[in-house]
Amino acid sequence: MSLLEVQHACVDFGAFRAVSDVSLSLAEGELLGIAGTNGAGKSTLFAAIAGQQATSTGRIEFGGADVTRKPVHQRARFGLARTFQTPREFANLSVLENLLAAAPNGRHESLLASWVGRRASRHQELELVRQADEILAFVKLMPVRDQSAGGLSGGQKKLLELARVLMLSPKLIMLDEPFAGVNPVLIGEIIEVLRKLHGRGIALIVVEHHLQALKSFVQRLIVMDQGRILADGNPHLVLDDPRVQAAYMGGVV
Amino acid sequence: MVGFFNLLINGLIEGLIIALPALSLTLVMGINRFPNASAGDTMTFGAYAALGLQYAGVAFFSFAVMGSLIAGALLSWLCYRLVFQRLSRAPMVASLIAAIGIGFMIRSVIGLVAGHDLHTFSLPLVRAWNFDGIRVLPTDLAIAGVALALLILVFCWLKLSPSGRQLRAIADNPDLAKLSGIRPQRLMGMLWLLSGALCASGGVLLGMKAVVMPELGWEMLLPAFAAMILGGIGQPLGAVVGAVLMGIAQELSIPIVGPSYKIAVAFVVMLLVLMVRPGGLFGHVEKVR
Amino acid sequence: MDAYLLAIGTIVLIYALLAIGLNLQYGETGLINFGHVAFFALGAYTSALLALKGWPLPLSFLAAGAIAAFSAVPLGFAALRLRDDYLAIVTLGFSETVRLVIQQEEWLTRGVQGLPGIPGLFTSLAGTPRAWAIFLTLLAVTALAAYAISLLQRSPFGRMLRAIRDNEPAVEALGKNPSGFKIRVFMLGAALAGIAGAFYAHFITFLTPEQFIPLVTFYVWMSIILGGIGSLRGALLGSTLLMFFLEGSRFIRDILPGVAEVQMANIRLAMIGLALVLFVLYRPQGLFGKRPV
Repeated sequence: MSLLEVQHACVDFGAFRAVSDVSLSLAEGELLGIAGTNGAGKSTLFAAIAGQQATSTGRIEFGGADVTRKPVHQRARFGLARTFQTPREFANLSVLENLLAAAPNGRHESLLASWVGRRASRHQELELVRQADEILAFVKLMPVRDQSAGGLSGGQKKLLELARVLMLSPKLIMLDEPFAGVNPVLIGEIIEVLRKLHGRGIALIVVEHHLQALKSFVQRLIVMDQGRILADGNPHLVLDDPRVQAAYMGGVV
Repeated sequence: MVGFFNLLINGLIEGLIIALPALSLTLVMGINRFPNASAGDTMTFGAYAALGLQYAGVAFFSFAVMGSLIAGALLSWLCYRLVFQRLSRAPMVASLIAAIGIGFMIRSVIGLVAGHDLHTFSLPLVRAWNFDGIRVLPTDLAIAGVALALLILVFCWLKLSPSGRQLRAIADNPDLAKLSGIRPQRLMGMLWLLSGALCASGGVLLGMKAVVMPELGWEMLLPAFAAMILGGIGQPLGAVVGAVLMGIAQELSIPIVGPSYKIAVAFVVMLLVLMVRPGGLFGHVEKVR
Repeated sequence: MDAYLLAIGTIVLIYALLAIGLNLQYGETGLINFGHVAFFALGAYTSALLALKGWPLPLSFLAAGAIAAFSAVPLGFAALRLRDDYLAIVTLGFSETVRLVIQQEEWLTRGVQGLPGIPGLFTSLAGTPRAWAIFLTLLAVTALAAYAISLLQRSPFGRMLRAIRDNEPAVEALGKNPSGFKIRVFMLGAALAGIAGAFYAHFITFLTPEQFIPLVTFYVWMSIILGGIGSLRGALLGSTLLMFFLEGSRFIRDILPGVAEVQMANIRLAMIGLALVLFVLYRPQGLFGKRPV
């Protein structure tokens, strides 16, 4: 059984069809890249799967459940996590607090728990801090653990987004242009983290412009053009496909 | 039935008056991305400016009106250059609070200078025309006519002049505004001159229909906002249609809730639109990126 | 002189309660509430009307807080789906509608004529001891509220509020629904304002709709801006500064003879307006706290 099933998804903005009859199937632990030129529809498809954008027709299933009409936060609860292209860190919270805020709802987060049963809450917090520290070590953000998240560099913020999402123990992480605006050194670090996550069995979907970085580590590549899927399969074969080459019109492939 | 028609006509005229600040609000909201809470008090300013010009002995009322339009335009333009322009990179709440503050300042100065007595424009007293119970005041017709003429003028400018078209494009598509980066100074200046003139004219017309008092514009603010939301933000035609609908809705509610609940009607309409169809009649909902 | 200072202190504490509530809504959670005076009014009139019907004051106070909190629920639901700017307009409309209803439903509130003869606090005492009793009770209540809110701010719940303020879409993407948090915050802030209103009603003993105009909401905004948004201590400091300003402006009348009361109102309006604009332009940290601009 596949982890993610997209069946004949279409997304319309008025008369404009941004995503046109897209179907794809993602197995557990699979590493998928989605590429395409500007306006190819990959961001819209991403948004549709994440739940930000409603589909006009089509069906989306995650972990066997129909999530087509489910809101963003419910999909995340099912294990469908995503990062943002422009990092959305909680700027005034520390890096650690960013992760703590991501930890799945406990009773410790209720209004009443602010005043009653504070000792129990503190216990739970300590456990969460332990979890968070583990993740921070994994993404190598421990040095900035107590710094305000707003002061991090662009690349660090992207790592923070990943770290945050890991607090959810997700089954699938969708990454929205993780390499955009990041210096080459950090790109390498991000790729390493992604490889390790893949090693842990987490499925990944990476939507990217930066083809060089993408093709170096994904197992499977989808190229979109004008809202449709042009090609889907082994990255090298896909990139050799004449239709794909034509779509990129002599751009860097 | 006669009563219904009278309410309908009155609502239509009020709606046309509301359309002027509503148009201003929708353009500013679409382009500068904040609700200009000082629009109401700019209306009041316009009314008092015309009043002042009349008292100063200006020959024709229409000259007083034109003078007030110019005054309103300049006031809004100044507010933009001195305050709102500097806040263009700040979060929206900054401009919003600044607008509230500016509104307070305008209203208080008017109160200090002109006092709180009710005033009316010295206009020739004309009797209402009566068609089998359907009453039409010639003044109201004049008001409607002027409002309509101004709206048509503005729409022509928006549709035909290059600056107008640019403004419309940016108002309609906020991403375009972001892409175009630094918005041309002149364009912004024109927008705010226009905005001030629209509000001032609305104030004068309102003053003609009712009385001139310091709270005149503030009472119109919510109906104007409701009209903007009903029509769809950044949609000039929507603002006008929304305003007319608002005016009619407010008048038709009188037999049900009485004449004093107009603001409540505006509030309810606003809530309904935001709950049911947040994009308004002509607009689209913006998605979070 | 004592009685005068205690009266000032009492008003400061009432504004402090209002500011604590608004700070929770805007400073902590980022909700732009331009209708705070509505909850103040609802609390005041609820307590006043119930007390006039013979309810004991502690009960009428609780009712005031409860009614104010419940009135926030529909608004809270509206807030869930609205962007900042819409929320500001809607809350403003809400407060004007509430004031309108108070004004129009004379059978209940006596409208613009006003509601006189509201039972006062500690009527068994008189003079300075009475003023002290009122002040100290209010001080205790405000201190308790401040303590409770400070606990809230330091708790995981408070952390989620700040996360929502900083980046609500991220909160959703992390599997949490901001709605529950926002509604609770709206209700809690409203309850505090309602209790402040009850104190106000039984202190002034006379209510009219004119006391609940939007200007009051912006007095409270001025308080939290003066004190620094997001800071609880700031809310308290700001209310004190606000009171200095409001009372200080009274002395203008003593210096400049012949200034009518209505002119004073306009002068205060002008100064608040100017202060709001100046703060926004030149001291934005007052408005955004530590948020990077």
